[in-house]
Amino acid sequence: MTARSDNLCSHCLLPIGLRAMQRKVNGEDCAFCCYGCCIAFQVKHGKSEEWEAAWLLIRLGVGAFLTMNIMLISLVLYAGTFSGADAWLLPWIHLLLWIFATPALVILGEPYLRETWAHAAQGRVTSSALVVLGVGAAYAYSIFATIEGSEQVYFDTATMVLMLFTIGSYIEAAGRAKAARDLEPLLAAESECATVVDEGTESRRPVRDIGAGMLVRVKPGERVPVDGVVIEGLSHTDEAVITGESRQVAKRVGSAVIAGSINLDGPLLIQSSGAGSATRWAQICRSVRDALSRRSPIQRIADRVVGVSVPFVLILGGLTVAYWAQLMPFDQALLVGLAVLVVACPCAVGLAAPLATSLGIGRLARCGCLVRDPGTLEALARTRLLAFDKTGTLTSGRSRIVGIESDGAGTDEVLARAAGLERHSEHGLAHAITMAAAARGLEPVVTSDVRAVPGRGILGNADGQPMAAGNSALMGDLGWSLAPALRERARSLEASGHSVIYVGWAGRVHAVLSLDDTPLPEAHSTIEKLRSLGLHVTLLTGDLAPAARRVAAMVGIEDMQACLSPEAKRAALDQYRQSYEVVAMVGDGLNDGPVLADADVGIAVGSATDLARETASLVLPPGGLWMLPWVIAVARMVRKTILTNLMWAFGYNLVALTLAVLGLLQPVLAAAVMASSSLLLVVNSLRLSRLPDPAPSALPGRLPSAEPDSVRRALGVPVMSGPAIERG
Amino acid sequence: MTYYLVIFAAGFAGSFHCLGMCGGFACALGRDPRGPAATVGRHLLYNAGRLTTYCFLGGVAGALGEVWCTSRGLEVPTLNGSLDTAQRVLAITAGLLMILMALQFFGLLQGFHRVAVGFGGSTLAVSLRSLLKSPSPAAPVAFGVFNGFLPCPLVYAFAVQAASTAGALPGILVMLSFGLGTFPAMLMMGGVGRMLAPSWRQRGVWLAGSFILLLGLITLGRGMLPFAAHVHAWAGGSPG
Repeated sequence: MTARSDNLCSHCLLPIGLRAMQRKVNGEDCAFCCYGCCIAFQVKHGKSEEWEAAWLLIRLGVGAFLTMNIMLISLVLYAGTFSGADAWLLPWIHLLLWIFATPALVILGEPYLRETWAHAAQGRVTSSALVVLGVGAAYAYSIFATIEGSEQVYFDTATMVLMLFTIGSYIEAAGRAKAARDLEPLLAAESECATVVDEGTESRRPVRDIGAGMLVRVKPGERVPVDGVVIEGLSHTDEAVITGESRQVAKRVGSAVIAGSINLDGPLLIQSSGAGSATRWAQICRSVRDALSRRSPIQRIADRVVGVSVPFVLILGGLTVAYWAQLMPFDQALLVGLAVLVVACPCAVGLAAPLATSLGIGRLARCGCLVRDPGTLEALARTRLLAFDKTGTLTSGRSRIVGIESDGAGTDEVLARAAGLERHSEHGLAHAITMAAAARGLEPVVTSDVRAVPGRGILGNADGQPMAAGNSALMGDLGWSLAPALRERARSLEASGHSVIYVGWAGRVHAVLSLDDTPLPEAHSTIEKLRSLGLHVTLLTGDLAPAARRVAAMVGIEDMQACLSPEAKRAALDQYRQSYEVVAMVGDGLNDGPVLADADVGIAVGSATDLARETASLVLPPGGLWMLPWVIAVARMVRKTILTNLMWAFGYNLVALTLAVLGLLQPVLAAAVMASSSLLLVVNSLRLSRLPDPAPSALPGRLPSAEPDSVRRALGVPVMSGPAIERG
Repeated sequence: MTYYLVIFAAGFAGSFHCLGMCGGFACALGRDPRGPAATVGRHLLYNAGRLTTYCFLGGVAGALGEVWCTSRGLEVPTLNGSLDTAQRVLAITAGLLMILMALQFFGLLQGFHRVAVGFGGSTLAVSLRSLLKSPSPAAPVAFGVFNGFLPCPLVYAFAVQAASTAGALPGILVMLSFGLGTFPAMLMMGGVGRMLAPSWRQRGVWLAGSFILLLGLITLGRGMLPFAAHVHAWAGGSPG
């Protein structure tokens, strides 16, 4: 718990706002966002030996005891028991009430008084001041009435209002903690402990102390604490928090495991491959915590309204008392004023946004989607245009051979020869050729004397013949002949945006390989879903127009602009912004950082590095393009919840305030009304936690979890970017 | 008065059901090391806390009943006045609820039991545990107060009965009678310790169930029988 940031509540994990409280629980410093969380946390976590937790309960219990007795006695009074012959008893009963009320007031009102005092010292007036003032006035008047010997005292109102406020804030905090349960695993990465095996002895250590090479034992049901490789055991893991997809991935000796995934059914012994604090999971935790501690624009407005409303309500309460005092006895006018102060307490307004946003952030983070701050969700919900980058976003970003045009040679021979040459090259296209040969099970032809010609291609010798692979300029330099049909074909392929490699041997060009960056299989359905959400979709790319046009047609985007420099992309976005107001840019986060940063919402797909670079405000997991429609749906749902919350909070307060000003609402009833309004907001926001998971089943041609892991490793590609390979 | 005596008796009979759970608490509260007088004081404080909560619940239930009746009947009813339709509906509802709870005591309605007991009980139980060990003299009061709020079908049954009186004050008195009825058994538990065999506890549960069933039938009858005179005769000495 100490590892947690100081600006999140220890109980409900909401950002600590204006009503912060500091307490020591179980010997640890805890900070709470409100009194309710302070109570709820101690009730739940306070160890029984811990004096403070028990002391809090004793105080609340005794406070409740006194309050209830005051109410019972008052009820007997109201029934007229002490009128007539027993009227001499009345002053004594009032005295008894006074004696009961004083400790009750001290016990229950102390936190509110302390809060008011602390804020007053900072020159602020907050809602607790309303409670303190209202209750204090009722109490002071009642003392006065007791001494005067008048008919009516209001000790019951004063204590009951305090009691209801305390109970209301407790219930509200309990509801919020329910919401926080979703966030708990996401914030646990750094405070979590792992079982480290060191020369046969096991010890529990914090994850952040784990370095590369250490052995870690993970029991079934536990979260894998570090990235690493399985060296003992057989199990399945659920990597939803990293990849966004809840499915079982088989793990055996040699399999790579990701920190943050849940070990499902067998114990595993894992060799850590890096520091515990450097995993993506740890990054996710940091990111979620940062996001939670920031405030969204709506929240800032709400807070400002709350800040302004308190002095306003004080004045309103004063005016109400002054008005009613002319029409009815002063004590009743005072009660009306008390009802006004109590009912106008703007607790619910302050709660409207943070609960919904943290639920939304948690919901997304559990599926591997990270949000930089609550404002991102609001902007995303209002987004009307989504601009996509092409390479690496809609496409796999890796070229593949899409066609082989040959002249007097078999396809396999061409590939085997080309692969023999290209396996000596580091070029991106070369990798595509060796992959294609390997996929067909071809043995690359042994090639010697290999040398690269920069900007041209690669040369070598095989079977005693000179070999070459490269562009037309290389073939021109060599003076090798090229059949006219093949030349024509190559030209048309180049015109349509393909990369073309000429392969020749023995003084002649034998084949033309066309390579292309293919769209991701889920791109088309994703674009379709986005459009059905009412979004305008466009493609902004730096690539040549023919290639861009082809990809756009394949994924179903009509509107596109090609040949854009990063500056031109920003200009295009600005232009779109004029007609669509809020625009989002989706990129891979590597090449288009400035554009992502410039959009209202920059969405990066699958770039773990980008988390640190702060250019994108929303990061999807690797291969997580398909989740975009779901993310937008969640963002919209969050925004809708915030708006209904605010409408409800304001509307409720206004109606109740009107009733109170008109003298139609009793103070005790007003306190009950207030407590229930906060509770309603909590219930309304909790609906967010029941949002459905994203549905990957809509994807065509997804591989089951049979072996992707071992395939990835065999290819020597980092596990993180795995899903992109699977699909590419 | 007869009415409240019946409630007292029902509370007394029902308290043997309490011994299962609340009796355990009373035992756990245990003896005060400072002597028998302190022990008695401790348990009186605990029971006072419990009684206060019961009375409070009764008052709230009664007030709710009153609100219901006045909003329908536009006239504050009293127990010995004639019954209007609203009161009849209230009495029938209360009677049926009590009969349901009685059936649950006989083990006939398990689902209902779960609904009744599962409501927020665990948090309360957790907080109670930490109070038990506290040496503070005020702890038993707080313990009693929270204990009173523990979900318990017996308390619910009598709270429903309190609601059917359609008045805060009679509601309080119903629960006061019931609470006082549970005093002897609970004090005994605190002082003597666990002395009743499980078989006896089972008999206590049946006894409590029978009383609630009887009360439920009477309440139901109050709502159903056409003659106000019958009710009048039955609830003769009730406050007016």
